[in-house]
Amino acid sequence: MNVLDLGLRAQATAIGAGDADPAELLEAALERIEQRNPAVNAVIETFPERSREMLAAAPGGPLRGVPLVIKDEWPLPWRAQRFGAAEMFAATAPGESGPYRALRDAGAVIIGVANMHELGASSTGNTSVYGPARNPWNTERCPGGSSSGPAAAVAARLVAGAVGADGIGSIRFPAAYCGLTGLKPTFGRSAMAGHHLASISSTIVSGPLCADAADCRLLGSALFSQKLLAGGAAGLRIGVVRDAVSEDVAPEVRVACEEAIEALRAESGGEVRELELAGIESGSLATVLIANTESLGEVSPQRLNHLNPELSPIARGFAKYRMLLPAAASVKAQRVRTLMRHRVAAAFEQVDLIAWPTVPAVAPPLEVPLVELPSGTLSADQANVRGAGLANLTGIPSISVPVGLAGGLPIGLQLQAAWGRDELLLDAAEALERANGRRWVQMLSPVAQGERSEA
Amino acid sequence: MEASNRADDFIPAGLASLGIEVDEVDLAVIGAAHKLFWQPIRELLALDTSGVQAERCPDLSQPPETP
Repeated sequence: MNVLDLGLRAQATAIGAGDADPAELLEAALERIEQRNPAVNAVIETFPERSREMLAAAPGGPLRGVPLVIKDEWPLPWRAQRFGAAEMFAATAPGESGPYRALRDAGAVIIGVANMHELGASSTGNTSVYGPARNPWNTERCPGGSSSGPAAAVAARLVAGAVGADGIGSIRFPAAYCGLTGLKPTFGRSAMAGHHLASISSTIVSGPLCADAADCRLLGSALFSQKLLAGGAAGLRIGVVRDAVSEDVAPEVRVACEEAIEALRAESGGEVRELELAGIESGSLATVLIANTESLGEVSPQRLNHLNPELSPIARGFAKYRMLLPAAASVKAQRVRTLMRHRVAAAFEQVDLIAWPTVPAVAPPLEVPLVELPSGTLSADQANVRGAGLANLTGIPSISVPVGLAGGLPIGLQLQAAWGRDELLLDAAEALERANGRRWVQMLSPVAQGERSEA
Repeated sequence: MEASNRADDFIPAGLASLGIEVDEVDLAVIGAAHKLFWQPIRELLALDTSGVQAERCPDLSQPPETP
């Protein structure tokens, strides 16, 4: 088997055992990007000499010699981030970001920068200054955003792991759309230094996107600078909420997620409990308001009147619209945050996990990102934010795990846990993998199988 | 007049009052965003949160302190 087709920990193990030459793996990965990337536009820049230098200097860490990509959201010593956009509202410069240092110190080799939705502003990934990334399961479909490139890169098996960022679901959406496991850590646990919003944002975290939970545990351990120990998942109390997040969902997604929840319950010998968790909808809006107003300190009318013409019309218009958002709504949003943090804390006294679909429908078309739900046709962004915002608003960790396919497109289940219980999410995801025979984490996209390798 | 019908005035007037220049494309995007967000924002503003004291500098890596 080609080492590039192995998962992250298997690649690390092969290198550590001397069964794979990391220099050969690096060159093979770069060659694979040349071959496959035109179909998915996941990687927007490689720097072979820098990568070779990283490998030459790599310490004997747990990821020694393993090639990875990082989202265009952090600086590297040789490159400033562009946030997928022609213009950002914050100053950036090359430098050693937290995720860069974490990967370097673990021995990993950064072989490319991954695409993302422009300014991190959508769950679809269909807009970027570099052109949209494409879903390796169907290149006419959205890969998910805003970590579109990291997800597409792993789902196309350009690399076995990628670093994304999640401010309102931006790791979990693309994980779900691309059939991957993606962890949104507890706020503050993973490396964030160097992010242009690190000192401003109260919602964004870095996190891993990989094929399965054990790979996320390995990459997450690097990002956390702390080994994420396995602890088992016996007797899980799984909370489900009868709300739009679990009920206004495409039928095939609902069935797959309900089956997965039952499989997890059975595997862990636990129970499923119905939870009352009021305010999810207003909590989602509060998340959007907080995330979109925290960075307004960088914006002025003068700046908005001289935007780079290469910014998309949506980014230009929305940047201006943000100036009209009422201050009272931001204040209310903070109260809703407190309210939801208390409600979530109370919920986690009753259950270990809260489960609902990561996204209510499979990946929509790139050109028209609309989804059909029982309530009608909605924009994917409008539908997706409902289930994702709670974790960013409250700070809790969350993970998306693949649980099925519909029409050849992946379905993701989201599990959420109390603050600091990121390890439990990984344990639960591994239990779910065991329950379904690792069927969904082993499935390969058409691009990963070598199909449609040209645009 | 319904509040929601006043958007046609509110958007260009609000932006103009801030000295923000817009073209037709901007107005179309802003109008779509407004249609999406404004009603939920009004509902948010109408929420009674008088009993909720927002946390001061909350530590989002931890559960909230007991009120």
